[in-house]
Amino acid sequence: MASKACTPRLAPATPRSVLRALLLTLPIAVWSLLMLFHPGTPTDAKSRIAEAVTALFMTGLFFMMMRTGKTYRWRRCFFVALGFLFPVGFIYNMVLARGTMGIPIEEMIAGRTPFCFLAIPLLIVPAALTKTLVFPGSIAASRHAIATMVGLWLALTLVLGKGWCAYACFFGGIEEGMAAVPKRAKIRKIDPRWRLVPWAVLLAMVLLSLALFEPAYCMWLCPFKAVTEYVTARNAVGVVQNAIFIVLFAGLVIVLPLLTKKRTQCSFFCPFGAFQSIFNKISIFEVKIDRTRCKSCGVCQNACPNLSLSKESIAQGETLLSCMKCGACVDACPQDAAVWHIKGTEIAWKPERARLMFLYAAWAMAVMFGGSIIAQGLFTILHFLA
Amino acid sequence: MVAVVIFGEALTLGLVSGPACMASCGPVLVPSLLTEQTGFRRHLRFLSAFLGARLLGYLAFAAAAWEIGALVSMRPASRMLLMGAVNVLLACVLLWYAYSARQICGSSCSSAKLVNIGTTKDRRVAGAAVLGFLTGFSLCPPFVAAGVRAAELGSVTQALLFFIFFFVGTSVWFVPFIGIGCIARNQAVLTVARMTMTLIALYYLFLGIAMLMGRKAYGF
Repeated sequence: MASKACTPRLAPATPRSVLRALLLTLPIAVWSLLMLFHPGTPTDAKSRIAEAVTALFMTGLFFMMMRTGKTYRWRRCFFVALGFLFPVGFIYNMVLARGTMGIPIEEMIAGRTPFCFLAIPLLIVPAALTKTLVFPGSIAASRHAIATMVGLWLALTLVLGKGWCAYACFFGGIEEGMAAVPKRAKIRKIDPRWRLVPWAVLLAMVLLSLALFEPAYCMWLCPFKAVTEYVTARNAVGVVQNAIFIVLFAGLVIVLPLLTKKRTQCSFFCPFGAFQSIFNKISIFEVKIDRTRCKSCGVCQNACPNLSLSKESIAQGETLLSCMKCGACVDACPQDAAVWHIKGTEIAWKPERARLMFLYAAWAMAVMFGGSIIAQGLFTILHFLA
Repeated sequence: MVAVVIFGEALTLGLVSGPACMASCGPVLVPSLLTEQTGFRRHLRFLSAFLGARLLGYLAFAAAAWEIGALVSMRPASRMLLMGAVNVLLACVLLWYAYSARQICGSSCSSAKLVNIGTTKDRRVAGAAVLGFLTGFSLCPPFVAAGVRAAELGSVTQALLFFIFFFVGTSVWFVPFIGIGCIARNQAVLTVARMTMTLIALYYLFLGIAMLMGRKAYGF
């Protein structure tokens, strides 16, 4: 194994200069302005303030990524803000539109529910066999809207793979925030077989969606129904549905992240995450372990919030299929052995350039999806404060 | 000539409603096929046992319903009770199957037999057959449609023959399931299949209990 003396650091050891970091941030600053400000549209001062704060926030975080050469902690700031502000704006809009967070079955059948990407894997098989969307969302009313949403998701997914789960998902932030609270994990030993549960949930939900002709996950197992829109309980079955949502949310999104310091809902339950993992095979960006530098200390394995590294995978110089490219392992590795990598290139080939290329794509997506959600959440808070 | 027309009608009805049958059996069939080892012959054997038992379930239900005159006129409450009981049974068998698959494939997964369920060695039956038999009792819309038509026929023999032709029509749609035999197996695939079975079993169990509770659960 090569000694540290003859292996130069791959990521910038010292922070980049402010000027260079600013230059690298410029495209994201322009993109933030384009995505978050809509000149000509009538908006009040609160909206403008929310949009300006969000644009500054997103640009500032990217600047810090460029300046420090670290990814994870800055991305986490954005992601946690997204996770906590999403329900704020969503519930406000829901109550404005419907007067309640509860959704009755008639509204579902009438397609008056918002589109949710978690339903995408459940739609595919019924849509392929019957040309019918089983998701009762408002988007089902328009084929163009479906094409736009699914097309956007597909394009981004092909580029970023499971990066979606670390830079765009508006559900994962709450548990990431919870996982950041304790200094040490109380539960450290986790059976690796738990990693297989999301695949089982995915398979079960796809099969049940086809059999029942309804989005089974949304109807029965989505933990985030607890903070978005619950089922209007008119009978015992409805009560059980809501109880399942609350128990799953409390267990997987609050309690277990506090105990394990991991994103437990994403790692051990989310069927969409399992589905996204498949696209890591296609995405050109990945995180690799440089075996010539690795001392097998296990720091990266502990740092990974998603259990996407195992001793075996580290020995092979790879992350597991479930890697969401959050950068935690890269930032934590004391040997700079965990590196950003572009498929088809040598492992040590300019990892910082690979990081930059990935981050531009990922942050552009983060601003586009997450930025508008954060701005909406901030607007809601300002609205209530004013 | 009339017989040809009637049984042709049964076959056509089976062929056109096959996708619905395939969809309703999928949650039971796919994970149980995945717990078997890879290979076309093995999957063909599994599917034969499953479909054979499913036909038996069809015929047993059709004959019993014909005898008591309830094939078409079964009251919704009674139908719900029957479906509830079948769902609870199906859930128990699925859980047992998932447990048995662990016993057989736990370490090397070298067993040449299909996954069997049962308490003792000499009393074990192929899990595929039990699952097939129980899904045969499922009162899915295509089955009810076939029941309505069969009830118009003159004799119980004709009605049973109608069901057999209907069954043959639907079974064509199950042939692609043999393709699951191509999927390579390892411990992870087996574990996922068993977890999937458990989740589906829990769903059926809940559904079954709710159906048995009827008005108390659904409020109507």
